[in-house]
Amino acid sequence: MPGGTLVLALGNPLRGDDGIGPAVLNALSEQKGIPPDVTLLDGGTAGLETALLLEGYRRVIIIDAADMGRAPGEWARFTPDEVVFQADDPALRGSLHSAGLGEALQLAEALGILPDEVIIFGIQPLDTSYTAGLSESLQAAIPALCAAVLEELRRLE
Amino acid sequence: MTSTVKIDVHHITRVEGHGNIVVDVQGGELKECNLHIVETPRFFEAMLRGRPYSESSHITSRICGICAVGHATASLRATEKALGVEPSEQTVLLRKLNFHGEILDSHILHAYMLVAPDFLGVGSVIPLAKSAPEVVLRALRMKKLAGDLCAAICGRHTHPIAMTVGGFTHYPSAEQLAALRERLEAARTDVDLTVELFQTLSIPAFERDTEYIALHKEDEYCFIDGVIASTDGGSWPVESYRDVTNEYLVPHSSAKHTRHQRESYMVGALARFNVNHDKLHPKAQAAATALGLKPKCVNPYMNTVAQVVEIVHCVEDSIRLIDQLLERGITWEQPAPPARLSGEGVGACDVPRGTLFHNYVIEDGVVVGANCIIPTGQNLANIEADMRALVPTILDRQPQEITLALEMLVRAYDPCISCSAHMLDVKFV
Repeated sequence: MPGGTLVLALGNPLRGDDGIGPAVLNALSEQKGIPPDVTLLDGGTAGLETALLLEGYRRVIIIDAADMGRAPGEWARFTPDEVVFQADDPALRGSLHSAGLGEALQLAEALGILPDEVIIFGIQPLDTSYTAGLSESLQAAIPALCAAVLEELRRLE
Repeated sequence: MTSTVKIDVHHITRVEGHGNIVVDVQGGELKECNLHIVETPRFFEAMLRGRPYSESSHITSRICGICAVGHATASLRATEKALGVEPSEQTVLLRKLNFHGEILDSHILHAYMLVAPDFLGVGSVIPLAKSAPEVVLRALRMKKLAGDLCAAICGRHTHPIAMTVGGFTHYPSAEQLAALRERLEAARTDVDLTVELFQTLSIPAFERDTEYIALHKEDEYCFIDGVIASTDGGSWPVESYRDVTNEYLVPHSSAKHTRHQRESYMVGALARFNVNHDKLHPKAQAAATALGLKPKCVNPYMNTVAQVVEIVHCVEDSIRLIDQLLERGITWEQPAPPARLSGEGVGACDVPRGTLFHNYVIEDGVVVGANCIIPTGQNLANIEADMRALVPTILDRQPQEITLALEMLVRAYDPCISCSAHMLDVKFV
């Protein structure tokens, strides 16, 4: 919805804990009390085309697995200017696709379609190998994450 | 003139997959000039063995994310010929439309995001977004239309889930097709601007005569089925593909090379143009003229220009195909059934990067043997022959310039070594 809020989950459910984004989105979609101008979207794995998904929204909340050097299942809320997306190591390059979230946000900004407010909920993964299902510590974090995102949505109302 | 140059580009950027450019010149003599393919073997041919024939197209579409429809179509044609399946006229039309969608998606990605940055003096599409946002937005917009076209026909943007032996398991509505037709018409502006942009780029003037191979039909610009044709003359039924490809191993590459009437040959958009230029939509022929592309063109750097010409063709032909489908009306047909459960067949398509062959042997409904020959594999020997001809003529340039010229040469072929662009690591001795 133009001018509204986008909740964008990123991640691949076939890569273990990289599926935390879609899992949280799924839990959110079952909650009551989500404000009316909010769109929930499973964005799959981030690529340059992720930039296009952001067009038209005033705020975006991104939910994604993120290697932040913390304990598995720990999560943090931050904005893009509070972090540096490390793209140096090819194996950890932003996400599981060649152009990652960092590049997508850069591209959106360069194209003038980046929403006014970008909030990221990053969750530390334990295992992102080729496997279906989340590790216990990440599964356990879903309710708290859900509540935090809902609180964020109500704050923005 | 530099007598010693050593170039080792580890994992060239802005191509699909992993390849290293290695050039070693000592005392003015070219000791080594190769494209090392370091991509690990994929084992798809082995994976198909023992699987029911209905799974082949779904498994082989996973060979690639950008040419998934190409692989699936070649796969289905191989199975259909092996088992005596006759696709309906509607199926043939839908497959052509789907194929156009993928050609558009792939060519737009290649022309705008992989090749254009070199010509516009930027390292990637992101700095280009800052200096020319309207160009990048245009590319993303066109790419999205192409992806949406594919998704409407085959059920998903990547890996065509609705394609099956004998037809489709899902059909687009007339409204969906009409909406896509409107967007395609509107995209003509973007297509014209694409031609204009490529008119301004100075394509390196390098020429080397070689053999060009493409699929050919008398009545249309051929992407699916047809016969194998060559600029050196001759045509072969697709069943005789081995007589054309003649695969052989080389020690420095995990992919095989091919050769036919010369030491190497080229496939892809430029080859298709050289073989079938008179079958292009008139608007595409006009674009070719405007872009200075004339048959027989022997400059590999013009491959991207040929892709731009095909973008024009595929937009116009997609509109024509949609008109045909809307006039007939979409029928939810059952896929055409097999006449038998054992046989051998060869499916051939000219996918974005060139001629692709899938050859299956099926016994009692189970695949017992498979051979897939990928277009990029057919180009490798030609790329190296081009490099060997190019290097001596540019040895007097700065090392960075030599490296860039070689990278641009490889990029022009739009190689799909498979998946991902990695970091550049150049060492000069």
